[in-house]
Amino acid sequence: MKNRGYLRTAALAVATCGTLLASAACGSGFDEGGAQGAAPQSSGPADLRILIGSSGEAETTAVNEAAAAWAEATGNKATVTPAQDLVQQLGQAFAGDNPPDVFYVDASRFPDYAGVGALEPYGDKISDPRDFYENLRTSFSRDGKLYCVPKDFSTLALIVNDDLWKKAGLKESDIPATWDELTSVAEKIKAEGMAPLVMGDTRDRVGAFMVQAGGWIASPDGKQATADSPENLKALEYVRTLLKDDLARYPKELDAGWGGEAFGKGKAVMAIEGNWIKGAMTADFPDVKYTAYELPAGPAGKGTLSFTTCWGVAAKSRHKEQAISFVEAMTKADQQMTFAKAFGVTPSRQSAKDAFVKAFPADAPFVDAAGYGRGAVNAPKMDSVLADFDGGLQQLESTAPAELLKRLQKNIQSALGN
Amino acid sequence: MDITVGRGRRLGRRTSATRENLAGWLFLAPVVAILGLFMLLPILMALWVSLTAWNGQGSPFTGRVPFVGLDNYTRLFTEDDLGRLNFVTSIRNNVYYVAIVVPAQTVLALGLALVVNRRMLKGRAFFRSAFFFPSVTSSVAISVVFLFMFANSGAVSGLLGVFGIRGPQWFSDARGVLHLLLSGLGLADLDAPPAALTGGGPLGLSWWEWLSGPSVAMCTIITLVVWTTSGTFMLMFLAALQDIPVTLEEASLIDGAGRWQRFRYVTLPMLKPTVFLVLTLGLISTWQVFDQVYVMSQGGPAKSTLTPAFLSYQTAFRDFDYGSGTAISFILFVIIVLLALLQRWVMRDRAAAPASSRRGARPGRS
Amino acid sequence: MSARDDRMAPRAVPRRPGERRGLAGTFLGYATLIFFALVFLYPFVIQIANSLKTEPDAAADPLSPVPHPLTLDAYERVFLGTDLPLWLGNSLLVTVAVTVARVLLDSMAGYALARLRFRGRRAMFGAIVAVIAVPGVVLFIPKFLVLNQLGMYDSYAALILPVLADAAGVFIMKQFFESIPVSVEEAARIDGAGVLRTFWSVVLPMGRPALITLTIISFQGTWNEFPHSLVAVQSPGLFTLPRGLADLVSGSLGTGTQYPLKLGAAVLATIPVAVIFVVFQRYFVRGANEGSEKG
Repeated sequence: MKNRGYLRTAALAVATCGTLLASAACGSGFDEGGAQGAAPQSSGPADLRILIGSSGEAETTAVNEAAAAWAEATGNKATVTPAQDLVQQLGQAFAGDNPPDVFYVDASRFPDYAGVGALEPYGDKISDPRDFYENLRTSFSRDGKLYCVPKDFSTLALIVNDDLWKKAGLKESDIPATWDELTSVAEKIKAEGMAPLVMGDTRDRVGAFMVQAGGWIASPDGKQATADSPENLKALEYVRTLLKDDLARYPKELDAGWGGEAFGKGKAVMAIEGNWIKGAMTADFPDVKYTAYELPAGPAGKGTLSFTTCWGVAAKSRHKEQAISFVEAMTKADQQMTFAKAFGVTPSRQSAKDAFVKAFPADAPFVDAAGYGRGAVNAPKMDSVLADFDGGLQQLESTAPAELLKRLQKNIQSALGN
Repeated sequence: MDITVGRGRRLGRRTSATRENLAGWLFLAPVVAILGLFMLLPILMALWVSLTAWNGQGSPFTGRVPFVGLDNYTRLFTEDDLGRLNFVTSIRNNVYYVAIVVPAQTVLALGLALVVNRRMLKGRAFFRSAFFFPSVTSSVAISVVFLFMFANSGAVSGLLGVFGIRGPQWFSDARGVLHLLLSGLGLADLDAPPAALTGGGPLGLSWWEWLSGPSVAMCTIITLVVWTTSGTFMLMFLAALQDIPVTLEEASLIDGAGRWQRFRYVTLPMLKPTVFLVLTLGLISTWQVFDQVYVMSQGGPAKSTLTPAFLSYQTAFRDFDYGSGTAISFILFVIIVLLALLQRWVMRDRAAAPASSRRGARPGRS
Repeated sequence: MSARDDRMAPRAVPRRPGERRGLAGTFLGYATLIFFALVFLYPFVIQIANSLKTEPDAAADPLSPVPHPLTLDAYERVFLGTDLPLWLGNSLLVTVAVTVARVLLDSMAGYALARLRFRGRRAMFGAIVAVIAVPGVVLFIPKFLVLNQLGMYDSYAALILPVLADAAGVFIMKQFFESIPVSVEEAARIDGAGVLRTFWSVVLPMGRPALITLTIISFQGTWNEFPHSLVAVQSPGLFTLPRGLADLVSGSLGTGTQYPLKLGAAVLATIPVAVIFVVFQRYFVRGANEGSEKG
């Protein structure tokens, strides 16, 4: 650079021009929406925007059809968009002040959204809210208020490949009911030269063992960290042994994106997955025969994880009334059964349970586990904490479980601010 | 102001000067407006956001957004929490990444340029293009190809298999290569690292974690980047090589210099400015690695490919912590500017070096 | 060994140093070139070959350049089963709009900075050099903020407007205009042509080589641009090809690795730039070297 004077002039020019632009531009933002909940409401026919995190073609089609039927019946319009990356798209939409009216909210994300006031707490405006399973309602409640109603749910079960099971010389009576039995059948399968069990490398699968051992990451109200417990330690030690002895494998080790893919390709005899595996099996591996069983019990008895998603309504929506009417239509027991038939989810209304089990007897293990399934940690700012824990679980073979839990405990405490 | 009649016809010089003044600004206006609106203004806005605890709801430019001063910055260094852990880990990863990519791409580019520059070889234009081609393709598309090549049953593992080597599970292997090296030499046990190193260390990472080296997964990204960027830098070296006067090389020949000596004492000194240029551009771009991380690993496994650029994106758009996210990106900004300044300072005698400074202006050159 | 040869060589013949190598040297040179040509090109062979394979074949024999059996199934699914045609269209639209605007705006600004004497010229040039130095990666969140604030987020305008001008292009054009003689323009001016006319009918035609270079860098840069689309839009209908491809890879297709399909989409994203590369190679080379000037 030749001389400073010229640089200074440049800086000045830039600053001036910036200020001018800023004053011109900042005025044109769209702050009119104002404070939460103050979004002006429009009655009459609305054009609802619905953003879903679709599991695939089947779900998108089913929701589209249901939305069209609702629009027809009520004289509104409804546009359903399947998100490529729901979390990111919702995040940017909230910041953009122009979120979709209705959208899927995963239970693990619910505390974050509710915490920043993005969700309209409409729970009590839906007919018979107590009909939804209680643990699902807890997942979507904050300070005693039900924010949004669950769309459906699933629990984890033990999925067994019938043919490979026989090939390993095992019978139906060999289905493991305890950890010890799990270890022993896994050893038999391994001796036959097959990979016994595949499970995802995150707390969403490994966590089931923590529940079976009587532990969990946080207290039910999400206010206390309970990661650093002897129960959790026992669970992780057990999973670590399975991994070290190659009795359990993570999907990546089997060159698969997730457990269902490895299972479908016959790379493992058993998998720990939810009922979403049904859709994948039908679509990609229609010839593989399999059966779902409840997960083996641990030292503290039966345990599993439950996953659920709710129909969120944006606090900033201009059509809340219509949005709630839409959700009402989507969560009617018979509509839930339609969805169940279309893409294999389990209805979140207890009144739909009998019809469901009758239609899908093979899915009974998933529904039976609803009573003891553990939901997501209901506290905000958990995502990066749990992602960190997942990172640890991925390296479980080479990391001391006690260290992992200590680190998790510390991180939760600092995120919860206690 | 001079008001005598100018060289033109009717217009006085004053009007002509005014017109030129106006024309100048008019010609410049669109670019200035766009750069001001989409470069400068955003940076000012982001500076503001980095000083607040905006949670991503509505506009950050209202009185309701809490102002937190420099908290977002200081927290990254002082608060013993996950935020700092992620940040420091990303810095560590990027340091290893830079330390390997920059020398590797520079040496490879120089080597390729030297070979391509050998006049006796035929088909040099073809090879030059072949080496350069990866540089012009889409980073996302190339990342997809490398994802496939490094898949567990992919091409690279297959190739290693030919030599009887069982390749690692590239994208799920978070183990650091330095750790692997140490354990391979029998100096450390991965399951029970030396207690002296695990006890503590600066900024929340233990010495053992600092000394991990890039992870196996990171090595795939390193390979990809060296592979894509070497071609561009090769062209820069090639241009510089062609600027070396033939007489100089001949003189060295007459002096009876060997090949290595000629390279060491004649060619290399002449290339010094280009080497520095390539190093700077390399340093600046390697701190910005993003696309490949986004497509190939999203920071995983176990954060071992997390970089500050990706972390700032993730913190803002996935965790809604825009304040912290922007703070990370400004720290990255400072790192890059400091490196560029440092490099300028190291190169302050560059003006004395000949060649290559007016290169770009010559039209029609290939 | 080569040192001894040097002494034997007849010094009277002035040959370039690289030329006096033995057969071994030549062989080594070619071996190196061919080895690296394989390293740099074979991944593209793998990419194309595997996009024409069935999924089991791609998984079983990823290295083979010959699909067995050869199938266009992946491409069929890319076109019918994904939004790729839409992404292609968006990419094309954005790239053409941005390239045309950049070439025009950058050369106008470059011309002003090189030739027109106006107050604040040096300051503006300084500012533009400063802008070049801003690393793009720190602009993700800022760009999102400003697009949001201006109410442009998630629109074609958001994809196009912010990248319409680039400082590096201005710099290249300024350097270029400074390198051509002033005399022609002066002649035009003496004939009474205004600044705009001189620029349009005299200066621009002379600037053809630089304009082509700029066109090519802009096209290539915009076609491949990924992070900008990540922070500028979110509707799948507005995705450009790299963004769509990135989403394909991160698994919005649901199950399975589906490598042939992903590789097929990647091939389609590579083709336009590859064609332009082959046709306009020397301009690419110039572009790379001029890019280096700004450092």
